[in-house]
Amino acid sequence: MAAWNCRAGQRLGAGDAIAGLVDYKDAEALLSRYGIRTSPSKYVGSAEEAVEFSAGEPIALKVITPRAPHKSRLGLVALGLTGRDITKAFGLVAKRAARYRPYRMLAQRMSKPGIEIILGGNTDPQFGKMVLIGLGGIYVEAFRDFALRVCPISDYDAESMIDQLRSGRIVAHSDRQRAMLSGLIVSVSHMFVESALTELDLNPVILHDDSYDVVDVRLFG
Amino acid sequence: MDHAEIEKGYVDLDPIFGPGSVAVIGATDKPGKVGHAIMLNYIDVGFSGRIYPVNLNAGSTIMGYRAYRSVLDIGEDIDLAVIAVPADSVPDVLDECGRAHVRGVVVVSGGFAEVGATELQASIVEVAKRYGMPMIGPNCLGVMDVRARNDTLFLPTFKIDRPKVGGVSFVSQSGSVGSTTLDLISGAGFGLSRFISYGNAATIDETDILRYLMHDVHTQVIVLYVEGVKRGRAFIDVAREVTSMKPVVVLKAGTTQAGAAAARSHTAALAGSDEAYDAVFRQYGFVRANDTDELLDFAKIFDTQPLATGSRVAVITNGGGHGILATDALYHNGLELARLSAKARRRLRGAMPGTVNIALPLDIGGDADAQRFEDALDAVGGEPTVDALIVIVLFQTPGADEKVVESIMNFGARREKPMVVVSVGGSYTRSHAAVMESSGIPVYRSASAAARSIAALVRYARYRERVRAEAEAAAVASKH
Repeated sequence: MAAWNCRAGQRLGAGDAIAGLVDYKDAEALLSRYGIRTSPSKYVGSAEEAVEFSAGEPIALKVITPRAPHKSRLGLVALGLTGRDITKAFGLVAKRAARYRPYRMLAQRMSKPGIEIILGGNTDPQFGKMVLIGLGGIYVEAFRDFALRVCPISDYDAESMIDQLRSGRIVAHSDRQRAMLSGLIVSVSHMFVESALTELDLNPVILHDDSYDVVDVRLFG
Repeated sequence: MDHAEIEKGYVDLDPIFGPGSVAVIGATDKPGKVGHAIMLNYIDVGFSGRIYPVNLNAGSTIMGYRAYRSVLDIGEDIDLAVIAVPADSVPDVLDECGRAHVRGVVVVSGGFAEVGATELQASIVEVAKRYGMPMIGPNCLGVMDVRARNDTLFLPTFKIDRPKVGGVSFVSQSGSVGSTTLDLISGAGFGLSRFISYGNAATIDETDILRYLMHDVHTQVIVLYVEGVKRGRAFIDVAREVTSMKPVVVLKAGTTQAGAAAARSHTAALAGSDEAYDAVFRQYGFVRANDTDELLDFAKIFDTQPLATGSRVAVITNGGGHGILATDALYHNGLELARLSAKARRRLRGAMPGTVNIALPLDIGGDADAQRFEDALDAVGGEPTVDALIVIVLFQTPGADEKVVESIMNFGARREKPMVVVSVGGSYTRSHAAVMESSGIPVYRSASAAARSIAALVRYARYRERVRAEAEAAAVASKH
């Protein structure tokens, strides 16, 4: 059974054999066990459910399917929705998603604006698990401003990764944000080392007010 | 040594580097053949041990030495066998070496995994392991030990200079990068301890060699040219140990190789092979060079200068423009220009002509002679706020001659902090640079090469300092 199909509540993590893309809610559950918070979200079956989840706050709708890994490019994401826009967007996105069945619709609380970074993990054929941090969002491929280290990552390593970024002073513009960020890198390393994951993207992670929101998560086993 | 030890532990390469007796298998009287060149080198470099030429078709002598048809016929202890026979014959020759209890082998012959003959390579690995016989190669130049005058290279001595004895050991996966760099090292202002070209690394790879050189008392600095490591995690384990004891300057080829095109994640698309190597080098204290010039530049400063963690650099020059170039180069490399104390300024004011502006970079003028260099060096070099010193000597000026060279060498001999010289120019400059380098003062052809080298030294010194502090903290913590 493909991992993305895992039912909510099924335990994933240390030593579990997971193949392919991990279901979004299961990924959230794994992250939370390492103290990594994600933006509040819920699978919704209808526009009404999405409106109810929104409770007046802006939300995003995202189609979750292993068949369409680059969902924003395919128009499978709608951002900053409130009120009637939610209903309209739900219909539109669901129509586009029809060709990527089976899929699920995720409603997610919008993050505050801030600096977008990517936190990731990859398994190098020679050196094993490695963690990456980079200036994220649309900049990651344009500037290729990222730093990489071999797991397990120490506090020193995490700090040196931030220092290595050309955008280091942007992503860690205060001591508190720097401490928060290096702690987050170390947590990602812990999770990656202790799990059977082989690749992961937390992208984007939005940094604001000395805090962060993990807006999108893709874990691969 | 058994198979298991070769797999995970220390491999003793002493018999290969410093043998008392050598069998050259494939030796021949025919000039131009590899086996001839190897024999000739052993004779030319003045190897003091016993030499036994071996060739299946041998007559009674080869190149004046008594010849043998098999290594088994020699009847003496053989420390090292250098094998230069056609690939198909290597398994049998190797088996004979095993039966003759040869203590180590270098397989120079090519025609194995590098041309797709993986089964043939597997067969020689099997033989080497069966006898627990350390084997370098195949498809390599082998080793050179300048101290032991042991030289398995098949490169004629008149075509490639042999470096002088020193503290740098050079490990090269490639034979051609190895031999060309070796040729350059001979004129690079530092000496060599050991050279090893390990080719296909069928049994002994870079990790084994690093571990061996870590314990080698003659090796102060390791220089590594590598295209890819064989065992990533083992390499990391050994690397953290060795870089906490000795600097390892690494040149990694294949840096522009495209990453995995069809990666599932952004992370995998970004984190290609070279990025992974770069991460390993940064994390575990390697000094990465971008080309062979940097490789030599860095090796030179590590071999001759003490480690220093401070980044304040003073510049003394007899040409203003080069002083400014040097200042720029410092900041480009994460270093900074030192400042002079009031005391040093007073002292310089007293010693320098009125035309000299008493500030760093200190331009002592195109007419500076040995005395002025000496005064400037004493005043600036004595400053506690000066962590490292760049002395720019432009020999095109009338005052710069062998007396200046002497002053700098005298000062360098007393100095306990890093100092380098920059001399830009032609044959007159080069001959003076060579004299300074022979006394252990690195001379660079440009201020940027000097600044890059000092920056590499400082980066490594800080790494060493940090891991030492971490180890101490861990030791204290474990006692409580």
